[in-house]
Parts: sequence; C-alpha cells; structure tokens
Amino acid sequence: MFFHIVLERNMQLHPRHFGRDLREKLVAKLMKDVEGTCSGRHGFVVAITGIENVGKGLIRDGTGFVTFPVKYQCVVFRPFKGEILEAVVSMVNKMGFFAEAGPVQIFVSNHLIPDDMEFQSGDMPNYTTSDGSVKIQKDSEVRLKIIGTRVDATEIFCIGTIKDDFLGVISDPGTTS
Amino acid sequence: MSIEPFNKLVKLAARAFYDDISAKGDNQPKTGRSDNRGIAVVVLDALTRRQWVREEDLAKDLKLHLKQLRRTLRFFEEEKLVTRDHRKETAKGAKAYSAAVAATADNLTGREGEEKIKLHTHSYCCLDYAQIHDVVRYRLQRMRKKLKDELDNKNTVQEYVCPKCGKRYNALDAIRLISFEDDSFHCESCNTELVAESDKIASQEIGDGDDNARRRRREKLRDLLQKMEAELKPLTDQLSRVKDLEAPDYGTLQAWELRASVVARGSNSDPSGNDSSRSGQGGTPMPFLGETKVEVAFSGVEEKGEIKSESAPMKVLPPWMIKEGMNLTNEQRGAVKQESKMEGASASMDLKDEKKSIGHEDDAKNLQDEYVKAYYAAILQRQKEQEEVIKREQDLSTNSILTDVDPSTSRKRQREDDGEGDVELEDTPTAGILWETFKVDLNVEAAEPSDDEGDDDDSIVWEEG
Ligand SMILES: [Zn+2]
Repeated sequence: MFFHIVLERNMQLHPRHFGRDLREKLVAKLMKDVEGTCSGRHGFVVAITGIENVGKGLIRDGTGFVTFPVKYQCVVFRPFKGEILEAVVSMVNKMGFFAEAGPVQIFVSNHLIPDDMEFQSGDMPNYTTSDGSVKIQKDSEVRLKIIGTRVDATEIFCIGTIKDDFLGVISDPGTTS
Repeated sequence: MSIEPFNKLVKLAARAFYDDISAKGDNQPKTGRSDNRGIAVVVLDALTRRQWVREEDLAKDLKLHLKQLRRTLRFFEEEKLVTRDHRKETAKGAKAYSAAVAATADNLTGREGEEKIKLHTHSYCCLDYAQIHDVVRYRLQRMRKKLKDELDNKNTVQEYVCPKCGKRYNALDAIRLISFEDDSFHCESCNTELVAESDKIASQEIGDGDDNARRRRREKLRDLLQKMEAELKPLTDQLSRVKDLEAPDYGTLQAWELRASVVARGSNSDPSGNDSSRSGQGGTPMPFLGETKVEVAFSGVEEKGEIKSESAPMKVLPPWMIKEGMNLTNEQRGAVKQESKMEGASASMDLKDEKKSIGHEDDAKNLQDEYVKAYYAAILQRQKEQEEVIKREQDLSTNSILTDVDPSTSRKRQREDDGEGDVELEDTPTAGILWETFKVDLNVEAAEPSDDEGDDDDSIVWEEG
C-alpha cells in the first residue's frame, strides 16, 4: 500500500556546499540518500515529493560539517499481509518463483501455485498448466496475494500465493510483446 | 487432592502419544522378539504412583533392565515429561533419600535400609506435572494447527530442511537461500541443497495431480481432524478439568528430601490415623504421597475450623456493630441480649478460646486471636465510654430543667420507638448532639417532641449568629 507521509532526517552537509544553492544541494543529497531505501517501519521510500522545512543548521565540532534537520514529504510503499499486488516474475525454480512489485520482492512457493500447474525445467524454467494455456516464467506478470511479510529494520520480504480466485498470470509476455 | 486429575492426565497422554514408543533406540531395527512397545506407558503409569524415585529402584519394581528404563526416561526427559536429577552419591546423600523413603513408606523400610550405599552417580526421576500439562496442550495445539493449515493450505508457509545438517528454513528466508549457481535453495551453513519439507500428511499416499485428488485429499484431512478430535476427547476433557487446578510440584530432589524428612519428623511426634490408610490405599509404597496427604488434611482441618468459627458469627453482627436501638433478630445478636453485649462478646471470645485450646493451632493464629480480642475490647470500651458521655450530658441537661431522672428514660424509650433510621441520625453525629444539648438547654422542651433536629439546629445557629 502507498502512503504519503512526512518524515524527518538530519542531513549533514559539507562546508563546500555552503553558498547560494545550499538548499538545492541539501535536497539533492536528501533524495540521493533516502529514495529507494527501506525501513521496516515505513516501508520503501519511493519518492520525495516536497520539503516541509529545513531547520537551523548546527556546526559539528572539529569537522565543520553542518547538520540540518529536514522535514520532507514522501511516498512510501509498505506491503501488508492480505494485500493483493501485481508483480513481475523475476525468477522461476522448482521451489516456486520470485516476483517483484516495485521494490518489493515476493516469493511464491510451489505449493501455493495452483495444483494444475507443473514445473518445467529447461532453458526457461516455468510453471505450465497441462493444456499449456497458462504459463508462468520470467517476466510474466502475475497478480498475487501476500500471505506473509518479514520486516527487518532495513528490509521487507514477502511471500505470496496465486492459489486463489482471480490470482495468477495477468498477461503473457510471449503474446503481448 | 489435586494429584488425581493430573495423574489421570498423564495416563491418558501416555496412552494417546506414547503407546507405540519402544524403549529401544530408533535406529536399531526392531525384531519381533524384542518389541517392547508399551513400556513407555508402563513407566509413566508407575511414575504417577511415585514421587521422586531412584531409577534403580524403579527398574527393580518394574522388573525392567536399568538400561532400558534409562533409555525410556531419557526419552521422556526430552519430551519434557520427566525431570531427572543425577548426583554423585555420597553416603550421606543416599541416606537422605533412604531416610525420606523410609520415613514415608513404612513397608519399604527393610529394603531401603539394607540398600548398599555406593559412591557413584545415582539418577532420580520425577514427573513434572506442570510441564506435562503445558507439553500436552502444546502438542494438541500443534497437531490441530498442522491439520487445519493443511486443510486450507493457502496460508501455509512452506518449510525447507537441510538434509545434511537438519537446519530448517521457511519460505520467508527464500531470498537468502537462492544460490546463483543453480537457482535452487541451499543451506546457509553447509551449502547442501535444501528439500521442501514434505510433511504433508495426506499428500503422501494420494498423488497430487488432478482436481479430484485434491478434493479427496481435503476430505481425508477433514476426516483426520475429526477423528483426532474424537479420539483425543478424553484427553482434552481432562485438560480442561485440570486447567484451573494447581499442578502438584515436588520441587527439586533436594527440596523434596528436605521436606520429606521434616514432615517425617513431624508425623513421628504426632502420628495421625489416616496416614496409614492413605499409604495403604496407594498400593505401591510411595515415599511422599502419604505425607503430603497428611499435610493437606492438616490444613484442611484447620481451614474448616476457621471457616466454622468464622461463618457462625458471620450472620451474627460483630459486637461493635450492635448499637442501642437497632432492630436486630436474636440470631443477629448472636442470641445475646443487648444489655449484656459485653458479656456476650466476651462469651463468644471464650468460645473461641476454648476452640483454640482444643485445636492445635500455631502461634500466628494465637497472636491473631489475641489481637482481635484486644481490638474488640478496645472498641467496646470506647463505645461504652462515648455512650456514657452522651448519657451523662443528656441526663445533665434534662436534670437541669426537669430535675427528674424518669423522663430521660422515657425519652429514650420514645427514641427507640421512633425507628432505626432516626436512631442512626441521632447516634452518628455525636459531637452535634453534645453541642445541641449544651446550647439548647432552654429549648429542650420545644426540641424534644420534634423529629427534625437538623432544622432546629439550623434555626438555633441562625438565632445566635
Ligand atoms: Zn545444512
């Protein structure tokens, strides 16, 4: 699920950036530092959308670096158990497949793949129905449901299922492209 | 006696879960001859009839080979049903145990006395009832969960196990487990390829293929779950029965021995009749069971005595609550007339004293009684004093005007007739009455017939203020 929230961060800026475009430098550094990171609490920071305010800088003893408390608005993505996501398959093996929904990695183990799909090894390992009409392989798009998340301080990993109504392949890269 | 339900629980659990556990190591192939399944149940049953027991003695009693028994006990220790204690036996230690046994089970004395004191490690074992309770509940919970999870298997987290080192992983670890060599999962510690844990109960026989098989599998699972619930019903019933009971706890071996010796000393000086009958009922000589029973009986008697002596005056209002003019039944007064409440109270206390002298009660109780007695006496004393003061004031005031004693008594009677509600009003604000009687000397005649003293009070204040 996406959220638009305000977060705060103390930014350290090198004295060489002190000048006319200090603020721009600060924002650029913030984006570089924060976007794409993941915190267990808020999820993945997708994008910074604005700066709320920049507090008073504090010169660090000895180094000359200045610490600015920066409040910024950002879009975060936090997966939840039970959430339905659309994801792109990134890897298939006999244990199941991995898929990515933006920054989130999801593993679907083979017992959570419908029973009528069987693993086919080979150059392009895949799960296929017996009549060959549905195939899950790398770059397939699937709709899946998250059934479990592992949230660490800096990492979120999910496991999902496609063994339910309306879940599974939503487009076949072979036919669409 | 709270041990019986727990013993029943142990017996049920033994039959439910350990019926086909053999004392032989699992790795050894079983031959038909040496098949000794059921031994586990026998051992557990025997333990329910004992407390701490030296394993050699238990082996002797069960006519089992010591090694065989040890293996079974080790298994139960792993299963968290049994606590064991091993110690290098000094002569003293062995004696302590023998003494404990001898003191509590008289028909065992001969044998125990002659027991050779060896100077090597002896092992003792005892059921850990509290833990057994938890273990059995946990086991049931796990069984149920496993079946239910598989029944609606969309929400199960696949587990993986390393065939080499036995380390377990689940699907949430998947991202860390992929190896880039062959895209499959590898053990983090030994890099062996992991296998999906195929502990799926139903899928083992029915190959999972078409939809039909799936449906059959579900049916089978549901069946299994139902069967489990039905067959384990006695166990679950017993669990719920035992739920709020306090599990018997014999403590550590040392604590138990200490307790046993203490109790033994106590029972020697004061042999109670039901001791022998108890140990007789148990059948097998138990080192401690008889004694605990004595202890329980002791406290029971004491409690009963207390409850009786407490519950009888429960309905009787305590002496300090009885006041003049209260409309009380005889029972409430403790069949003691109001005038003689002092005597009544003291009489009831005498009664208590008698009880005390009859029963063997400890010092703490004595002290408590003494305190209560003193407290009551003090309260009574004070009440009486207060009443006297009031009376004196009233007499004074009435005398000063009427110079007659009789009207005061008549007034008192009148007051009694007025009813309880008024009495309370009059009695409680003692100071107010005092104040009133002091100031209102002249108004007494006017104030007396009126029921509303509060109003008078106010008016007087206003007049004077
Ligand atoms: Zn391993």
